[in-house]
Amino acid sequence: MDTYIIVLLLGVFYGFFVGLIPVAGATTGLIAIYSFVGYFEDPYMLVVFTTAVVVTSSIGDSFCGVVMNIPGAGGAAATMVDGFPMSRRGEAARALSAAISTSWINGLIWGLLVFLFLPWYTNIVLYFGTVEMFSFLIFAMTCVIFVSSKYWFRGALALILGVAVGHIGMDPNTASPRWTMGWEYLGDGVQIIPIMAGVLAFPELLSAYWMKAEKIKLTNGVIVSQLIQGVKDTWRYRWDGLRGGFIGGFIGLIPGIGGAIADWFAYSQTVALGKRDGENVGQGHVRGVIGCEGANNAQKATSYVPTVLFGIPGAPFEVIVMGLLMYVGLELGTPSVLSDTKFFDTLLSSYLWSLLIILPISYGFIKYAVYITNIPFRYYFWPILASLIWASTQYTGMFNDYAMLAICCCAGMVLKFTKFSRVSFLIGYILSARLESSWVQFNTFGYGWSNLLLEPLPLIFLTLAVSAAIWGMFFNKARIDFV
Amino acid sequence: MKNLVLGIVASLFMFTSAMAEVTMVVPQKPGQGTTVWADIVKKELEKHLGEKITLRLIPGARDIPGINAWHNELRFDENTIVVTHGGNGVSFLQEQVDYNYAEYDSVGLMNLNIIAGKRIGDDMSKPRFPAGSGMVPEAFAMTLMLCGPDKSVDEYIACFKENVVWVKGMSGSERRLAFKRGDLNGTRENPATYQKHVEPDANAELWFHHGLLDPTTGNHVDDTNYPAGYQVEQIFEARWGVAPSGEFYDAYKLVKSFRDGLQKAIWVNKGNEELRKRMISAMYAMKNDADSMAAIEAKNGKYEWFIGDDGDQMRDTLMTFITEDALKNLVKFNKEALGLKSIYKADLVK
Repeated sequence: MDTYIIVLLLGVFYGFFVGLIPVAGATTGLIAIYSFVGYFEDPYMLVVFTTAVVVTSSIGDSFCGVVMNIPGAGGAAATMVDGFPMSRRGEAARALSAAISTSWINGLIWGLLVFLFLPWYTNIVLYFGTVEMFSFLIFAMTCVIFVSSKYWFRGALALILGVAVGHIGMDPNTASPRWTMGWEYLGDGVQIIPIMAGVLAFPELLSAYWMKAEKIKLTNGVIVSQLIQGVKDTWRYRWDGLRGGFIGGFIGLIPGIGGAIADWFAYSQTVALGKRDGENVGQGHVRGVIGCEGANNAQKATSYVPTVLFGIPGAPFEVIVMGLLMYVGLELGTPSVLSDTKFFDTLLSSYLWSLLIILPISYGFIKYAVYITNIPFRYYFWPILASLIWASTQYTGMFNDYAMLAICCCAGMVLKFTKFSRVSFLIGYILSARLESSWVQFNTFGYGWSNLLLEPLPLIFLTLAVSAAIWGMFFNKARIDFV
Repeated sequence: MKNLVLGIVASLFMFTSAMAEVTMVVPQKPGQGTTVWADIVKKELEKHLGEKITLRLIPGARDIPGINAWHNELRFDENTIVVTHGGNGVSFLQEQVDYNYAEYDSVGLMNLNIIAGKRIGDDMSKPRFPAGSGMVPEAFAMTLMLCGPDKSVDEYIACFKENVVWVKGMSGSERRLAFKRGDLNGTRENPATYQKHVEPDANAELWFHHGLLDPTTGNHVDDTNYPAGYQVEQIFEARWGVAPSGEFYDAYKLVKSFRDGLQKAIWVNKGNEELRKRMISAMYAMKNDADSMAAIEAKNGKYEWFIGDDGDQMRDTLMTFITEDALKNLVKFNKEALGLKSIYKADLVK
């Protein structure tokens, strides 16, 4: 038990720390864990550690946006729109307090809803046969294309490219190499870590290196009063926070969509309502901070649902969580995990304890947290880059690993600067095998379009998919430029 | 400062080198079945070997590159051994691989079994079974049990195609859930995962298993971990009144023996007597240590270890099953019934 507590505390501090580092966040922090995953004595310790990192990095995320005007991770970009102007006015502590308390409360509500009842939700899995899973995948991919970016056509191409990359490796029908171009290294497919590190993390890391950050320190003498004011603001704009939580909670349930999308949606709703009420949301108003921060932790909590139940990641960071747990023998989405009460208990308790521990830390050490955030990014750049390289080269440890990482980094840069959604690419890559196997099973079992259109769950998913496509093409006012 | 850093690096290097006495090559990624097995066995072996064993994971397509790397290069290192699994045994029969069991000496191997479960009450004359190159012996077994004796290989292939729904592309987690839901009415697991995934399922029951190869007689005997009467040969005889035989059965016996007889095996390069002696002595000590065996059996079931020469005898017995007809029929069934890209390796028959 003592070891579990130590692991929890390490996870809390590590997660909070990586959250404070500009553009790092949960995904990068979790990738780095690959380097020392072998040190966890039992699999449940890793559950404790990863959950603590996910929870606390979300809280730490807000600091960069508020005091440096750069995103902590994708998920904190919306916070800086109103948070940073508040800091310029000398209200940094108030903005941070509002962000932390809103994120924390929604994390608690949605965390309880998810983790307390997750063992019960496992019954849903039994209703997801081949047809249901196939239609669910279509729905998820449609959302990724049409909802996750305003460049939906490029999003579709990126997703197809991701699916194609996911097809590299072994053909499940013939058990022979497919699209490996004679490179034996690709026989087992393109590995997930270089993809995540190269396509997702590296371009952000490089951007942050060149990014011009502004620095703001907390105004001495008013910190406590501003912290209290921030909590009062959270109460005053509680419906904005709760609405943000609801949006985040809903979006987290859809595989592959999360982070920035949930935040920006929640934020755009707050802006619209702020205009109606005659408030200047978007120009340094605390309501803007509260509106988007509600979605932050709520989305993180609910993204565990598809991840744990189906083994389909609810958000990009969940890909890493799944991979890490797979290393220690906990394969999410399998009957053994779904019937593992210790797993669910560990998930619930580590989530709640992380939330409880991080609250006093983030308030009590707010001044020092700001110092950490203000350290020039060049000091973080090299250690983070080293950890990404280290984690990406654990597959064989040979030249091929480095070559693959370099290819992924180049691909990530190209996708980023040509505004092809990297999230779409990743989701295509991750769901590729699932999509193919669903399609093969769909045919093998002799299902047809009538099953998709006449059975209730598939019909719901297909209707939602069509709605998402229409909405994304014609009515998406949020116009999220998330690539 | 520079000297300090160099000193630390040098000491770490020396420390690591001094500790890593024996390297055990495993052809898989962390968390996969053989890696988990190797990790358990390594911990127990270390206690009796008195030396540190370092796992070196070399993953790759169908777990072949790791064994190839050991065969081509690493086996010549005086302190390096390798772990192979049943899938490597099947690949050896029907794929272009570099490795060849005839060139190694056995340190020890576990003679294991694969267990098939079925949904209670389902009509198993129309099995819906998960496909995969590792499932080839199950495809043979189902065909034999369903289609009966005295048929040509072509007739068996037609019978398989007519009766078995062979569901391709399922990962382990998918097939377990599909079986639980009833989309599949049959599935298979190794003894450890059968215990974990199938036994607790109230709607599932034992269907068949392949038995255990007795290397001295070359016949398969019943697995006493399960009730009597569930071995494929027993089920066949009970239903059809005769024991299975013929060219199709020979192909089945060949593929199941290479997969299950070599399901978990540790090898050393032929001629490396010094390392072999050390390892075998530690193996026997491990086998006689109740705690060590309990730790291994908790994960893998109670199965016999064949150590040293006994392991070599197992390998030699397996090699006698490789005949031109058995190998050709295996490849034919794989290609025509299962859609696998198998190749006939004439050099194996020689």
